[in-house]
Amino acid sequence: MAYVATRGGEQAIEQAERLFRAEMGEITPERVAEIKTALPYLIDRVMGEASLYDEDLAALALAQAGGDLYEAVLLLRAWRTTQPRLHVARPIDQGTLFTHRRISAAFKDIPGGQVLGPTLDYSHRIIATDVLEGARYIPAPVTPAATPAPAHQPSVAAWQAENDLVEMPGFDETAPEDIPDVTREPVLFPATRAHRLQSLARADTGATLALGYAAMRGYGQAHPTVNELRLCEAEIIVTHPKGTAFSAGRVKVSQAEVVSKKGDTLELGFAATLGWNEVKCISAATLDLNSKGAPKGSPTEEEFYLYHTEGVESSGFCIHFKLPHYVTFQSSLDAMRSAKKTSKTAEKTSTSKEPAQ
Amino acid sequence: MTLTLDAPRIVTTRPLVTLRDVTKTYGDVQAVTRVSAEVFPGEVLGIVGESGSGKSTLLRMMNLEDTPDSGSYTLDLPDVQGNLFELGRFARRMLCATKIGIVYQNPHLGLLMKHSSSGNVAERLLIAGERRFSVLRDKARAALAASEFPLERLDAPPIELSGGMQQRVQLAKAIALEPALLLLDEPTTGLDVSVQALVLDTLKRLQQDRNITMVIVSHDLGVIRTLADRVMVMRRGEVVEAGLVDQIFQDPQHPYTQQLVHAKL
Amino acid sequence: MSVTPQSLKTLSRAWEPMSYGFLDASAKREMRRKMIKAVAVPGCQMPYASREVPMARGWGTGGLQVSLTLIRPNMRIKVIDQGADDSVNAASIRHFLARVSGAPTTLDTLQADLIQSRHRIPEEKLNEDQILVLQVPNPEPLRPVQPNMSVARQMHADADYGRMWLQLYEQIVRSGRVMQGASYPSMVNGRHVMTPSPIPRWDVPKLNMAQHLTILSAGREKRIFAVPPYTRVEPLVFDDVPYKVEEHHDLTCSRSGAKGFFMNEIPQEDGSSAYELSDSGFGVKHIQQGIGDAVTLGKTWYENGEMVE
Ligand SMILES: Nc1ncnc2c1ncn2[C@@H]1O[C@H](COP(=O)(O)OP(=O)(O)OP(=O)(O)O)[C@@H](O)[C@H]1O
Ligand SMILES: [Mg+2]
Repeated sequence: MAYVATRGGEQAIEQAERLFRAEMGEITPERVAEIKTALPYLIDRVMGEASLYDEDLAALALAQAGGDLYEAVLLLRAWRTTQPRLHVARPIDQGTLFTHRRISAAFKDIPGGQVLGPTLDYSHRIIATDVLEGARYIPAPVTPAATPAPAHQPSVAAWQAENDLVEMPGFDETAPEDIPDVTREPVLFPATRAHRLQSLARADTGATLALGYAAMRGYGQAHPTVNELRLCEAEIIVTHPKGTAFSAGRVKVSQAEVVSKKGDTLELGFAATLGWNEVKCISAATLDLNSKGAPKGSPTEEEFYLYHTEGVESSGFCIHFKLPHYVTFQSSLDAMRSAKKTSKTAEKTSTSKEPAQ
Repeated sequence: MTLTLDAPRIVTTRPLVTLRDVTKTYGDVQAVTRVSAEVFPGEVLGIVGESGSGKSTLLRMMNLEDTPDSGSYTLDLPDVQGNLFELGRFARRMLCATKIGIVYQNPHLGLLMKHSSSGNVAERLLIAGERRFSVLRDKARAALAASEFPLERLDAPPIELSGGMQQRVQLAKAIALEPALLLLDEPTTGLDVSVQALVLDTLKRLQQDRNITMVIVSHDLGVIRTLADRVMVMRRGEVVEAGLVDQIFQDPQHPYTQQLVHAKL
Repeated sequence: MSVTPQSLKTLSRAWEPMSYGFLDASAKREMRRKMIKAVAVPGCQMPYASREVPMARGWGTGGLQVSLTLIRPNMRIKVIDQGADDSVNAASIRHFLARVSGAPTTLDTLQADLIQSRHRIPEEKLNEDQILVLQVPNPEPLRPVQPNMSVARQMHADADYGRMWLQLYEQIVRSGRVMQGASYPSMVNGRHVMTPSPIPRWDVPKLNMAQHLTILSAGREKRIFAVPPYTRVEPLVFDDVPYKVEEHHDLTCSRSGAKGFFMNEIPQEDGSSAYELSDSGFGVKHIQQGIGDAVTLGKTWYENGEMVE
């Protein structure tokens, strides 16, 4: 009997998934390892958006999703859901960050110096077509600097604060276990600063750029100057129940501080994320900078940008429109038809414009 | 000048509105400074003063949209007690919705531009709990008619109407629930002289027919002279002079008022 | 008394890839707390963390988290989408629920302890022992008049529903009737306006004073709300403009012959339309009955196309 099609539905979805997976073939540890070494910036982006720092899992997620970023991030977030929250690491002081790259657009030179570090900023974007002809692309060796840049740098904003140019936010005394955690509680508005920065840290890169760019183009009040941009590694310091503090490892982090002139001081916007992702940090910091007093419904309003840069939610909702909606459609159709009928009879029976009651 | 036989409308009774020492600052700007005033039932109080003197701010506070830094506000009405500035958000909203009507200087502040005109009026009735569609329509139509709004445009959205008609929709909305107090902020500004006269006539007739207590703000001394019983002159947030309309216009005491009256004459 | 020496092994449980019912204990505790709150204040939206689950947001993750929290190995579950058990996403959710809980599944509304549904309430009456979990895409009935969530929250707190009513007024003025299709805004327990989720208007009266508990959960928007048993649910209507359900009273299912229930319209090549029962489990039972199988048809909310008071 055609009605009893339940098995049919189950089979169809099973086969559809198989078809998708068949195209990608076998997933091997080698493939995962290759993704991890070949695509570190993609891994970083995925780890940041997943709010889960694990390069191997990120590489596996990318392999399993065939490179569909939204799918990969969802895989990692769903896995993260099943994990207990064991500990809150110590806060990280900017001066203790092991810094690979650090630049400021606000000053020609800054205490600690401009450190270019690894970047494609000044590269000529010419695609190496030779490789497709069989050549190998071998990167030129790096000549070490005569004097290596110091690994630890003070923050630019700290210098500005000393010189009365910027007001630094006060130190947040919240006990570690009381820090609002966006993975454990919903964001309500106005959001706590912790929630705002956490949400931006795991926001979708493209969406953050789109809204940050809108602010930069003038749909925000403040024009950002990059005060400091950093790519670094942070030591994760945890405390053993017996009291010993030790490093549980290092994670790559990036952060941006942007400033804008407001009266006789500078206003700060800040963002940081797991992994190295400069575009996202600058965009997110620009949104943070523009939040204060932003009109409701504008791209720089906190509620607006936090909702709309959440990649798992937005992508999920977008693809949900593929689901059948024929019940709701039927319901609207009924209202439309009946309204049409009413207006036809109204036309026939009366010439008054008074709506039917 | 003709003598009228009308008795003066001001009677010695308890004031409907009492404002005491109301002060409001925005950052460094003293928008309203220690303003005290009384408005009696059935009376029309005019407020004049230069741009930025705090007239709109005072009216917004009387509509409970804005809270002053200090001062008190009472309305002598059944079931309305105490300093209204201390009311919670919910009580404020209900009081404004049912007892106070306002016509804003800028129609965009007072109207939903894309809803129907009748809907703009009906919203007030809905907030007050009316749940019968036919009654909503009848009452909205009646209020619009009383404001001399052309009824064939009943369901047109304000965005498609002229400025004068928008002011009439605002007025209809303000009087739909027979408010105890009607606040008017420059209801005729930006209208051409003939439309201005029409709006003034409507207001005057409403005042006569319904004996509504009104506070009207205007730059235009002519408007104040036509409508108000008493007038309050504001400058830089302060009341510099107050009195009966005729008295102020004929014998202004404060140099600023003198300047104002003479400039006009 | 002898003390067994403790070791990491004796202190901890064996490693498992995930907890029973997928969600870990802390997530389930939060869900339970928020469900209790939601039941305590009928129709009021309670924010909750809403964990990421192995399904995309917007695909029933809110309902799924409720089901995962309530599920027990002996609970019989039914999952429907648009009224159909065989809809692909219903199949996927049913499969997932069974896989992580070991709970048995059913297509029969009468047999189900827990029903997770998208866009429909079954035609057969639910009783006090059953729970209906509705998936909610947009929990905020005020969204069309106020897109800002924080402002809307304030409006609920103040029972500030003037704009909501105005919207109905405007629809009648423009179109001669209320044009809301599904998701008809309804007043719960005389206090909170809620969206009943995108169920057709046909289904809304089933919630009024129902015997069963309904939990509505929006995973993406992180809001949960409930209609406890025996709670008033009244669609917002003017006193003199009656509520109208879809005109399906006289339609007959072309497959089962059942009449007077909510139907799917199937366009035909000759330009006409055929109809089939939207509640597929109910349709199957009708067909089975037609060929002489022993089936139990439950009491229905509608009889002869009319809602039974
Ligand atoms: N929301 C606000 N924020 C900051 N300043 C304000 C605000 N509202 C009013 N002000 C200031 O308060 C003062 C009084 O303004 P208000 O609008 O009450 O003047 P007004 O007498 O109505 O002027 P006009 O005749 O031009 O309408 C002005 O200096 C104005 O800039
Ligand atoms: Mg003004």
